[in-house]
Amino acid sequence: MNEDKSNDIFIFPRWTGILRPAIAAGALGGALYATVIVAFGFSPWATDVGYAPVQPVPYSHALHVGQLGMDCRYCHNTVEHTAAAAIPPTQTCMNCHKSVRAASERLIPVFESYSTGMPVQWIRVHDLPDFVYFNHSAHVRRGVGCVSCHGRIDTMEVVTQVKPLSMSWCLDCHRNPERHLRPVEFITELDWVPDDDQLVLGRRLRETKNINPPQDCNTCHR
Amino acid sequence: MSATTTEPLSYLDNTGDDPTVRARLVVGDNDFHAVTNKVCGIVESPQPRLWWVAFAISSSLTLVLLAMIAYLVTTGIGVWGLMIPVGWGYAIVNFVFWVGIGHAGTLISAILFLLRQRWRTSINRFAEGMTIFAVVCAGVFPGIHVGRVWFAYWLAPIPNQMSMWPNFRSPLLWDVFAVGTYATVSLLFWYMGMIPDLAALRDRAKTKIRYYAYGLLALGWRSSNRHWHRFEFAYLLLAALATPLVLSVHSVVSFDFAVSIMPGWHTTIFPPYFVAGAIFSGFAMVVTLVIPVRRIYGLQEIITKRHLENMAKIMLATGTMVGFAYSTEFFIAWYSGNTYEAFTFMNRAFGPYAWAYWTMVTCNVLVPQVFWMKRFRTNTILLWIASVLINVGMWFERFVIVVSSLSRDYLPTSWGYYRPSIVDILTFVGSFGLFFTLFLLFVRFLPIVGMAEVKGVMPQAHLDRPGHRGHGDYHGDITGTEVLS
Amino acid sequence: MSSMNHHNGMAYWRSLDELEQTAEFREAVGREFPNDDWDRLPPATRRQFLKVMGASLALAGLTACRWPKEEIVPFAHRPEGRTPGVPQRFATSMEIDGVALGMLVTSFDGRPIKAEGNPLHPDSLGALSAVAQAEILQLYDPDRSRRLLLREGGQQYVKDWNEFESLAGGLFSGAGAAVLAGAFSSPTLGALRERFLTAHPEARWYEYEPISRDNEREGTRLVFGSMVRIHPHLGGAEVVACFDADPLFDHPAALRLVREFAAARNPESGTGGRLYVGESGFSLTGVRADHRVAVASSRVPALLAAVANSLVAEHGLELPAAAAGFAGATDHSATDDERHFVDLLAADLMTHRSRSVVLVGPRQAPAVHALAAVLNHALGATGSTITYTADPSPDRPSHLEAISDLARRIQDDEIETLLILGGNPAYDAPADLDFADLLAGVPVSIHLSLYDDETSKLCTWHLPASHSLESWGDGAAWDGTLSLRQPLIEPLYGGRSAIEVLAIAADDGPKSGYELVRESLSGRSGIPISGDFWRRALRDGVVGQSAWETVAPPTDPAGLASAVDGLRELLEVGRPTTEHPELVLVPDAKVFDGRFANNGWLQELPDAITKITWDNALLISPATARDIGVSDSEVASVEARGATLDLPVCVVPGMARNCAAVALGYGRAAAGQVGNGVGVDTYRFRTTAAPGILSGVAIRGTGRSYELATTQDHFAIDTIGFSERNLRVADLVRETSLDAYLENPEIIHEQEHHPPLISLWKDHEYEGEQWGMAIDLNACIGCNACIVACQAENNIPVVGRQQVLNQREMQWIRLDRYFKTAPGVTPDEVDDAEIVFQPMTCVQCENAPCEQVCPVAATQHTTDGLNAMVYNRCIGTRYCSNNCPYKVRRFNFFNYHKDLADTTKMQFNPDVTVRSRGVMEKCTFCVQRIEAVRIAARNDNRPIADGEIMPACAQTCPAEAITFGNLNDRSSDVSRSREEHRSYAALAELNIRPRTHYLARVNNPVDGMPSSVEGAGDHGKESG
Repeated sequence: MNEDKSNDIFIFPRWTGILRPAIAAGALGGALYATVIVAFGFSPWATDVGYAPVQPVPYSHALHVGQLGMDCRYCHNTVEHTAAAAIPPTQTCMNCHKSVRAASERLIPVFESYSTGMPVQWIRVHDLPDFVYFNHSAHVRRGVGCVSCHGRIDTMEVVTQVKPLSMSWCLDCHRNPERHLRPVEFITELDWVPDDDQLVLGRRLRETKNINPPQDCNTCHR
Repeated sequence: MSATTTEPLSYLDNTGDDPTVRARLVVGDNDFHAVTNKVCGIVESPQPRLWWVAFAISSSLTLVLLAMIAYLVTTGIGVWGLMIPVGWGYAIVNFVFWVGIGHAGTLISAILFLLRQRWRTSINRFAEGMTIFAVVCAGVFPGIHVGRVWFAYWLAPIPNQMSMWPNFRSPLLWDVFAVGTYATVSLLFWYMGMIPDLAALRDRAKTKIRYYAYGLLALGWRSSNRHWHRFEFAYLLLAALATPLVLSVHSVVSFDFAVSIMPGWHTTIFPPYFVAGAIFSGFAMVVTLVIPVRRIYGLQEIITKRHLENMAKIMLATGTMVGFAYSTEFFIAWYSGNTYEAFTFMNRAFGPYAWAYWTMVTCNVLVPQVFWMKRFRTNTILLWIASVLINVGMWFERFVIVVSSLSRDYLPTSWGYYRPSIVDILTFVGSFGLFFTLFLLFVRFLPIVGMAEVKGVMPQAHLDRPGHRGHGDYHGDITGTEVLS
Repeated sequence: MSSMNHHNGMAYWRSLDELEQTAEFREAVGREFPNDDWDRLPPATRRQFLKVMGASLALAGLTACRWPKEEIVPFAHRPEGRTPGVPQRFATSMEIDGVALGMLVTSFDGRPIKAEGNPLHPDSLGALSAVAQAEILQLYDPDRSRRLLLREGGQQYVKDWNEFESLAGGLFSGAGAAVLAGAFSSPTLGALRERFLTAHPEARWYEYEPISRDNEREGTRLVFGSMVRIHPHLGGAEVVACFDADPLFDHPAALRLVREFAAARNPESGTGGRLYVGESGFSLTGVRADHRVAVASSRVPALLAAVANSLVAEHGLELPAAAAGFAGATDHSATDDERHFVDLLAADLMTHRSRSVVLVGPRQAPAVHALAAVLNHALGATGSTITYTADPSPDRPSHLEAISDLARRIQDDEIETLLILGGNPAYDAPADLDFADLLAGVPVSIHLSLYDDETSKLCTWHLPASHSLESWGDGAAWDGTLSLRQPLIEPLYGGRSAIEVLAIAADDGPKSGYELVRESLSGRSGIPISGDFWRRALRDGVVGQSAWETVAPPTDPAGLASAVDGLRELLEVGRPTTEHPELVLVPDAKVFDGRFANNGWLQELPDAITKITWDNALLISPATARDIGVSDSEVASVEARGATLDLPVCVVPGMARNCAAVALGYGRAAAGQVGNGVGVDTYRFRTTAAPGILSGVAIRGTGRSYELATTQDHFAIDTIGFSERNLRVADLVRETSLDAYLENPEIIHEQEHHPPLISLWKDHEYEGEQWGMAIDLNACIGCNACIVACQAENNIPVVGRQQVLNQREMQWIRLDRYFKTAPGVTPDEVDDAEIVFQPMTCVQCENAPCEQVCPVAATQHTTDGLNAMVYNRCIGTRYCSNNCPYKVRRFNFFNYHKDLADTTKMQFNPDVTVRSRGVMEKCTFCVQRIEAVRIAARNDNRPIADGEIMPACAQTCPAEAITFGNLNDRSSDVSRSREEHRSYAALAELNIRPRTHYLARVNNPVDGMPSSVEGAGDHGKESG
């Protein structure tokens, strides 16, 4: 017993047996948890997708495109020729709204802009970093439809970002464009679905139009 | 055990070269208990005033380091003296310098262990500690020397939304892995070896805090036979694991330069040359630290003159190797007929940076030669001075390699002259602050001598062996397994 | 009288303001303190970088989250022909010293961002000088004056244009009114001058420019009786002899002359030609000389006289009887070099009669120009290598006479009201006139100026001028071609142009520049100002066939006689000595006469010869420095014409013995935050008696030293570096002589000795384009235009003197300058040297060392062979730069854009990322231009045409030295120039396979084999 006493100091209490596995499990789990949370929390999926700011004028694409069936290019008329799919000048709105709903007070900012010449200050939804140079014409002319990046705009009351617009997301398509290629006449038809399998069609289009999306850094970064 | 121990008397001298007389590795009439008392006493008794003074200085220098880093990160790399063509300056020089110093510990504990150099026991703990702290200091610099510190994590191969990997062809990336591995293994090694001694501290603990602190660290060591068996086996394995690292780390660091195409960098001799230099500087740093420590804490009987002398011999050897490397570089520069290479070396020796070059040669090649003479090997004062000079020389070696090569490369129109800024210098000084702060804390809280291992080489350990009494470094029939079981 | 009105008027306005309590008034009241510098910008300058900058780590971290909210503001009514985000280009012109230079200005969403040359303009031909390109930066200069200021009784009031207009009417009536304008060629301004002088018959009109070609003008008057303008044509010239002349750089038509010269000197396609230069210090023309002799400027007349001598005496050339006196004066003190030079030149001129031309620099006295004209005439150059047109303003007195006369009248209190249109006489008038003091005494002085500068601060009125890119106007090219100027942007700071202000002064009521230009155009005989014509003229920027008629003037004996006497006097002048050296005042290659002093691009542009930035220095040759006892970077005290200035010494070979040179245009006191206090104001040396060449000055070392911010090491470095440098030049910058080249086209490759080059990596495959560049060192004259073009195109920051001193300059293109000296000499033995240039920027290596070492793969090879630099991926380890053998990468050591004013940011090219701190950057062959063309071509399914892509440097190069194109297309220009014998790669032995090749320089000296070729005895550079 004497020896037992002297030995006691060498012996941890029994309950401490649980500590080792507990600590191990905690460390592992914690690390995993942290990684997952950080990785997801900072990914464009979490930060960007679903961004739908309130616009100065409650312009409804659902109404204009979805119901009235206007073509994207009626307003964004530079999309096939330039890098930017220009936001239309107030003039364009007034082409119709001179007569249509010429009294609606929801359109007052538009009327004011038209009379004063001061622009309507829209809020940018699809916003790439300044070091990324995206060119609409290059994509649209090859048969990448609006819907591929912007989603079903024709069903949106308020325009919302539906794709992460992250670099890996861009690369996915640059590596396998056939998933998104369509005949150029259908680029603005948001609800268009291919008759046969998209991949088959995509491969054919890629073949015939010799589309090899570059993956060089300076394709997008200059 | 107190600071008042007098300079060792003649009976403490175990540096005899007569092979018939086996030198004792622990002198004086110390039994196991005395050793324990001496070593644990350092941790248990209050520190001498000198410790507090040193700690005050080094910790404030550490603050300087932190301040400089903050200034750097908020302002930009421009606060350093860097420019085009010299894109790497003090930061990388210091990095290589500290990594080099970090070599002694693992070498002593691993390689000397495998080589049965049993005199290592008195100094290995100490050297390993120093290694860790040196590597910590080294680790600081690659981190802060990049232009956008906040993106430094891109160096790590982790999945990301850019779906980008780092460039595995880049030696800088190899560095990340090499130094990382080395730090991990040395740390493990160090801690592993300390466990029995931590247990001893635990057992002698007077206060609850110490009891639990050391108890936790001791991982429930009960010094049972099984424990000892596992311990020594693990120690052997770690030693085997660490040995190649000693050689690999500085080889990889040297690739940063050797893989480039800069004349003066692009050299096949770099890996061995860097490793030799690293061991050289490492031992110099051990000696620089150990001499005052053994004096202050009265460890002359455990860390004996023979230990110092042995280290001096190693410095002589490695220093001469380094000197040989210098001359080889020159020879190859001339022999290869590569005019760029030739110019780089002429420029080192006689160009604007000649002052640095000759400082290096003097400290690294000429100074160690004095160790041919026993007087210098055994006189602690001279030995200490020499080792300090060697540290200086080794820093300048890195400076010469990094800066003088870059400052004048291929196109004369882009030649330049690098001047460190005050921030450069303070950061460098601050890194010493960090190093000594960690070291002083180590002295204060951890056993700086591997008691258990020292006891193993004391005469008392061999009472069961008639005829071999007192023959500390007996090499006869004590085989590895015997030692280990 | 007028001052009386003025006073009453003053009181009236103030009460009115008080009545209304206008904002301006309250502002003015609040700020009415003597000499109060109130309308400054916040004192953040582009040059203070070592103060702590923002961008903390925390903020940087946050950028990982959602981007800040951005707004899109479309037009309410989109203008016709305007597509958002698509740059437009407009033809316009700017005027320097009365010569209009045509430009094409790129405007992005209404912001002019880049100036290029106008291919239709005779003096531009698509190229543009460094200075003219930097106009863009001046447009956005935040230091430009924003308000009308009235200074009275030590106080300063803010005014507006109406106030000035209502006042101006009365100001110029009656005697004592005078206008001081700069030299101008604008017909509109000319017409307005007439209108002004008819409206105010007693008013006087003066024109002053500190730097002009008046001597040349006067010289022609001496020879021909009437003033004519000289137009050299270097295209067909077999022999070009320049005496202190720099036709390739400081001539108004330099861009055209360079084009002609470069084309002629191409050994494959050119007509050949040989260039002789006798000058006091290296000019860009001198750098290209086949035979050059350094003689003090005061001895240049003697040199030319000696040539005349030898022509007449030894080669039997006949001069007009009256001009016979030009010959016969033999210079006994001539050195062997000079004699050799004279003999060669005289012989060459004679053998190439009518295909040779003699040019004299504007610094030289009229008599020397007269002699040159006579020689040209006698050699039959007239009509072939040189043509004449009548001088546009023959009755204009010389600028020096004009300013002197004005000064005298001010002194005699004859001037009541002085209207100064542009210029800065208080700063650049000859020192002996004390013009600044006189100006302060003028009752009413009105200064129209871009800046509230030295002159404005001494005037009662300061009027903000509109920039040439903000205003309507016109002007005449050197050959008279009418060039239009149209605004690209509304005046940023409410300025007005000279014509608008003069219209007010001429009681022609306030009129817009547009109206005035149209009026004068329609008034101009022979030009129908129909809408159609007007539109075409605006589109082209020039009015076709509007150049002046060439004339063939007869010689005038009387004038010639006086010219001969004049020359005789010049020949009396002895050689400068060590005790009494000579000082030459030269216009600066960057800030010119000082007017561009506040332009960061130009201040930081390295001088082609000395590589000095942000300073002017006293240039002297090594030998002279030794004799006088001053050393490089030492401050010398220079005493001349009563003034003593401390100037930093820059020792540079090629200066004449005992002859120093220093640039004008520095030391501005009120230039702006960039230009203030940069360098030393050397106008203090400049007097009406000796405007350019000052003999008998005193130069003494002070022992103090001053570090000049150069972008290359000084000429004088340690011996070991010096000799190695000499050794390497021959291999880096290959050159040979025409004879040697024709005999053995492979000669420049004979010095290559290296083992077979084997690569560790697999070669890249190229299906589509792979870009490449070729730079013709035989065409490049080192004019720096490419550097500024690159800076404007790629948003390259200005870093300031301190950062240049730290060797952190950012220009992507480095114009490497090497002095070639005989092998084996030490810096102390050298006095003269040959200079070669090598434009060096990223050569886009095929086996790029930078790509392999970047740990984060921020610099990568692209499928079209470029060495892409991804700024947003770079973390700034600087390993790539260390491993770059050309050291062409630039690092953002600080956030260099942080302190820029918002106006300056308007200049940025939106197609190029603005680099943050901690990021490496470099040339990528203007990848933004490549991508733009590539996308356009792919959009309409066509291949990219050769020459369709033009990097900014290639576009602006007046010598067309830079060729860019697709190496996979065997027929492209660049592929063909790659196949030329002269084509070689710098540092090829490293097997990094640069995509930029150089074409060796081919000199054409008489004796065939220049030493530099043998000098290249430099073997076996196996790569390390």
